[in-house]
Amino acid sequence: MGLDVAVDIGGTFTDIVVCRDGRIEKAWKVSTAPVAPERAVVEALREARLPPISNFLHATTIATNAILGQKGLELPKVALIATKGFSDIIEVARQNRPSLYELEFSKPKPLVPRGLRFEVDERVNFEGDVLKRPADAQLRRLVSSIRRSGAECAAVCLLHSYSNPSHEIAVGRRLRATGLETCLSYEVDPEPGEYERTSTTVVNAALTPVVSTYLKRLGSSLRKMGAPGVAVMSSSGGLTTVEEAGAKPINLIESGPAAGLIAAAELCSQLKIGKAISFDMGGTTAKAGVVIDGEVGLTAEYEVGGRIHHGRIVKGTGYPVRSTFVDLAEVSSGGGSIVWKDGGGGINVGPLSAGAEPGPVAYGRGGSDPTVTDANLVLGVISEIMPGGRGVLRRDLATRAFSRLGEPTEVAQTALKIAQLEAARAIRMVTVERGLDPSEFTLIAFGGAGPQLAANMASELGVRRVLVPPSPGLFSAIGLLVSDWRYELKSSYPRNLASEFRRMEARLRGRLGSPRFIRYADCRYSGQGSAVTIRLDSCETPQVEEEFIRAHRRIFGFTIDASVQVQTIRVMAVVRRAKAAWPSQPPVEAAPQKLGNTGRNLMVDGNWVDAKVYQRGSLATSFETDGPALVDEDGSTTLVPPGWRMSIGRLGDIRMEAKQTR
Amino acid sequence: MNWELISKATEYTAEEMGVALKRSAFSPNIKERMDHSCAILDSRGTMVAQAEHIPVHLGSFRIGALNILNWMCSNSMSLSPGDMLLTNDPYITGTHLNDVTVLAPVYNGSKTMCYVISKAHIVDVGGPVYGSINPSAKTLYEEGIIIDPVRILKGSRLDSEILSILTANFKDPQAAAGDLNAQIAANRTGVTRMNQLFQRYTPSEIYDAWERSVKRSRDLALHSMRKWRRGCFSALEHLELGSSLIPLKLKLEVSEEGIGADFTGTSSQLESPLNAVFGVTFSATMFSVRCAMASEIPVNEGLFSVVQVYADPASLLNPAKPAPVSGGNVETAQRVADLVFQALSKCVPGTIPSGSSGTMFNVMIGGLRENGSGWAYYETIGGGNGGRPGSDGVSAVHSNMTNTRNTPVEVAEREYPVLFTRCSVRRGSGGRGIHSGGDGIVRSFKVLTRARLSILADRFRTRPYALEGGKQGMPGKVKIVRRGAVKLYPSKFMEELEPGDEVTLITPGGSGYGKPPHKPRRN
Repeated sequence: MGLDVAVDIGGTFTDIVVCRDGRIEKAWKVSTAPVAPERAVVEALREARLPPISNFLHATTIATNAILGQKGLELPKVALIATKGFSDIIEVARQNRPSLYELEFSKPKPLVPRGLRFEVDERVNFEGDVLKRPADAQLRRLVSSIRRSGAECAAVCLLHSYSNPSHEIAVGRRLRATGLETCLSYEVDPEPGEYERTSTTVVNAALTPVVSTYLKRLGSSLRKMGAPGVAVMSSSGGLTTVEEAGAKPINLIESGPAAGLIAAAELCSQLKIGKAISFDMGGTTAKAGVVIDGEVGLTAEYEVGGRIHHGRIVKGTGYPVRSTFVDLAEVSSGGGSIVWKDGGGGINVGPLSAGAEPGPVAYGRGGSDPTVTDANLVLGVISEIMPGGRGVLRRDLATRAFSRLGEPTEVAQTALKIAQLEAARAIRMVTVERGLDPSEFTLIAFGGAGPQLAANMASELGVRRVLVPPSPGLFSAIGLLVSDWRYELKSSYPRNLASEFRRMEARLRGRLGSPRFIRYADCRYSGQGSAVTIRLDSCETPQVEEEFIRAHRRIFGFTIDASVQVQTIRVMAVVRRAKAAWPSQPPVEAAPQKLGNTGRNLMVDGNWVDAKVYQRGSLATSFETDGPALVDEDGSTTLVPPGWRMSIGRLGDIRMEAKQTR
Repeated sequence: MNWELISKATEYTAEEMGVALKRSAFSPNIKERMDHSCAILDSRGTMVAQAEHIPVHLGSFRIGALNILNWMCSNSMSLSPGDMLLTNDPYITGTHLNDVTVLAPVYNGSKTMCYVISKAHIVDVGGPVYGSINPSAKTLYEEGIIIDPVRILKGSRLDSEILSILTANFKDPQAAAGDLNAQIAANRTGVTRMNQLFQRYTPSEIYDAWERSVKRSRDLALHSMRKWRRGCFSALEHLELGSSLIPLKLKLEVSEEGIGADFTGTSSQLESPLNAVFGVTFSATMFSVRCAMASEIPVNEGLFSVVQVYADPASLLNPAKPAPVSGGNVETAQRVADLVFQALSKCVPGTIPSGSSGTMFNVMIGGLRENGSGWAYYETIGGGNGGRPGSDGVSAVHSNMTNTRNTPVEVAEREYPVLFTRCSVRRGSGGRGIHSGGDGIVRSFKVLTRARLSILADRFRTRPYALEGGKQGMPGKVKIVRRGAVKLYPSKFMEELEPGDEVTLITPGGSGYGKPPHKPRRN
């Protein structure tokens, strides 16, 4: 195993965890350097004077930041090659507008401007029959006009290429022969739906130079530190090699959040928890996902750069990308979400966030709009003294900010309840809307703000068990340490299910030896508008159909008498990496302010109570107490409300259990 | 303190119903195009929360719900726990026959506490035309079957006999049955959620919360209008029918109490599906007003209460049964929105855009498959969005009263015997201006079997209005090529197609805003 270094680069902070032979030796945060994120990492590692690193495990936001147009990460000029008559698909998109009642709405700027769209006179039908073959002379002319256009890379997306890619291959061969970086849609996303496939292919082409350059720079900086093997977390929750990540950068879009969900899944396996909800609440958003029997939920579509409203990406505000993503619902409710009053006198929370600058009012850095963190401070949930001696939170400023909206404690209580309700929606989306009953689940809460409201939110959802892992602020980075390699292949409208699975698995075996395979199928009733993804134990058609019908009944409450169609099948190959089952935490360093376990005034249901306060590091395994209680640690506080009992588990995890039906 | 939580929970319930409906719906029309809406009503039928995905449903529940409750009252119909009522009579529901409405009561003990309601556009509800929107209908009876309020669920059991009468008349029975099931599932979700709310809070807490959220929406609405000019603003628009132009007139009165929209002077009702039931007239008026309010206001009775609408009985905008109405909520609704925007441009100058394409451009096509089963394909096509005071109009997009997504070519070709030949931006069709109008769309396809095509569109002879000296967008066109011969068509027609016929749909551009600079600026 040797020395594993996990680095999770987020928007504001970069989390670093150093693990030697299964023991965490050091874990800390540094500020993210947005333009050259690898520089801050390398500097921090050099300062830490580490011995040669064996494995460098990495989660990064670089792909997302590049799409969001972050300065210093310019996307290249991409040429799009489409079937004759259809090159404007990238602009027409799905012809809908992102907001119904906004007069000056805008659609996202097409990733390929009109002047860089090219057409080929060819056609294949949905069954893959060739209706028109592209002429050689035409392809020659096409290639030379693309070269003249100044395009730096190319995306080829022809109609029905998922059924018959021969024309895409012909175009691609000629373009690649000229040295142009080219992405073919059937390789990136072999599924029907021309706009989504085009968008996915174009996004992939645009990200390729940015991401592969970054990974190369990172690799060469690391060479001086022991030339470790580099593994990158993909959106599907598995590690990929630098080469894979560079060729299919769309797979890195949800890299960081995927690591958090994987951490929750591994923790569940360690603690034998069958069903869990992972709940990650940071400064601006809350994300929820589901783990069942150690497996994370997956989804196949995502909109990068999209605007989020009520936890759903507003369709048409971003660029759709179809790939395998861990299934997370996200709501704009975090510690930094701003509390405000509308013209009708109602209290609202978010979606605006005070971000890292100026941050909550209590930081005293010039913020004037109160936030969820300020509400937690005013109500005594968090301490005025920041743990780790990192300064003091200004309760007077927070109270004054709330008093502009009404009676401060009343406004703060309403704000927290609304924040909880909003966050609970994220959980509903990944449970109730998928036909799962949240009361059967354990809530795993992490991120800086998650543990503060987890138990109250759990009550809202009928959830009776909550778990806060050790170092909740670094949980995603820990997820990297416990991850395995994953590779995926997919195929649409297979003619013979079993033989198509065998063909894909043989291809994966050729590359990976003998991995564990997980099979999925997207099925629907013939004529139905969209598909349901089911996990398969058998790949024989009758069993697949039965499984689909069961899933349909579970999720939608009904079935109909129609034939079942398998639209897309996927195989995920999992290759285990040598690692500790769960990294052990370092012994707690004694710090002066946690010697006395004192009390704090806490507002509970409109009354002030004296809540016991514990320092997390001072609590031994099997410690137990009843709420109201607060557990402080560096970067977070866990609130144990009245009616809940907490104890410390064998991995140092805080467990909370609701004592009676509330 | 709990009222905000209760009203949020109620809003989320409406939204969750909408998601449940979309997820389990059968047809691409709902699944992909999101032609559906859901709402929560109190026991008197007052709307307390709505999640709408398509603006033409905005406000139509307000009228539809009251009509249903009144109908139940005068027909001595009552709903027990587990019952669900279904109807599609446009003179009750407030839209058109395709919009099937399903209502379910929420009981607490023996008392009805509230209702959940859903509306979804079923692609075909019978009648002579595939897709049921019949451009040549002279009465409602030529637009499909009319379903008076009926209990489709009795004590949680689906009445399969009623369902089979319905689906026997629908040309795609399987899709219709699937979509109805999805509506029922959505209502079940709504009932479950509302039951949970009534377990957690007392009825008086909930009713108080709803009252406060209704009041809050009204306050927010009036607040957003505080800077509007007071007075009376008028506007005139036209719809095309055969060789004539049908006038629509509006006098909009804006005062401290809200808005009065008086459509007196509009054409009397027609023997054509352009008639819009009063619910549509209200929705379209409400739509434009809400856009001009330019702020997030929870949709409920409080928002609706600031707008009073009047249209003469037996007129185009308030017809009497059995006038045909299928095109009212697709085409006439667009023109009413234009009319209200024009009047508002004088009331809130500098905020209202120039006219958008102004048509939903409805395309209905269907026929028989080789195995004898029917197919029906419905699509609306976006156009150019009008130039705005602050920016160019958007190209190739749905504006105003609809926002449905297109069916992907690769999906449509698998489902229906058609082969697409083009889908592109109609370059140069937007009117010029300081901010030019967006361009329309060109979409072409060939049919592979015999098929019947119906088109219901507008703005082929008229053009969208242009504000502040902008140039008008280009009008729409339909052409059909049969064995090399090209034929142009008007905005409303029905035609029998032969295999190999190629249909090209060309949608209008939006108008520019402001006097254009001398040189053309856009490519």
